[in-house]
Amino acid sequence: MRIKLTSIMVDDQDKALRFYTEVLGFKRKHDIPVGEYRWITVTSPEGPDDLELALEPNANPAGKTFQEAMFAQGIPLAVFEVADIAVEFARLRGKGVVFLRQPAQAGPVTLAVFADTCGNLIQLYQPS
Amino acid sequence: MLLRPDGFRRLCRARDLLREVREPSPSIADLAREVQISPFHFIRQFEAVFGTTPHQFRIQTRLDLAKHLLAIGQHSVTEVCLEVGFTSLGSFSTLFTRRLGEAPSVYQRRVRSSAQVPGVLPAELTPGCFSLIGHLPAKAFGRPVRSFREA
Repeated sequence: MRIKLTSIMVDDQDKALRFYTEVLGFKRKHDIPVGEYRWITVTSPEGPDDLELALEPNANPAGKTFQEAMFAQGIPLAVFEVADIAVEFARLRGKGVVFLRQPAQAGPVTLAVFADTCGNLIQLYQPS
Repeated sequence: MLLRPDGFRRLCRARDLLREVREPSPSIADLAREVQISPFHFIRQFEAVFGTTPHQFRIQTRLDLAKHLLAIGQHSVTEVCLEVGFTSLGSFSTLFTRRLGEAPSVYQRRVRSSAQVPGVLPAELTPGCFSLIGHLPAKAFGRPVRSFREA
């Protein structure tokens, strides 16, 4: 058993694909029409190549309620690791990304939190 | 942009307010005042955080709710139009058709014609994305999916 795929709910798949590729810098792996929605996954150019993140439509009202409540409570729904958080923070801010928490030491790691424009908070961390 | 906790709470509150249906419908400037942000900063910050303007967010929320009511309720198109906060059936129908590709009445007939189980949302309203994996061609996963026999 291995982890092959994880997903994040997004309120608009077009907008999400733009944000996750053009702003964050992930690569589009699949983009397949499925009825009214699409099966979209991205991978990180920093690897691993076969671990995919699906940009899942949050059209289910239950999903939307969950997503909005977690957002309002300030709880990130995904965490990405970066090699240099100060560099990522500056790069993303330059692209208009809104941070709720600038890079700060938290125990053994440095954390930052930003909004992904699709209804989620995302945490970045740099291992020490 | 770095948003402080109180600014973040105001935007979340504004999102809740945009979802409310009030008569008469408050302007975006009214809502900005209600959450104590200047209209200019409100629109700019809201768009940077939520990826859409307050006005577009409210329209999308109303259309989503309209879809839901058309699909599951026993309401007429006119009732749904009023229920989600539009005052003109014409502008509701035009907007719905432009965004969703079919008129509200056509959408309603199509979704309701599919078999429905009471208490269960129609498939049109629930993408159930993980289940999509099972409907994808094997090549979508990069290498052939092995059958149980091979495994």
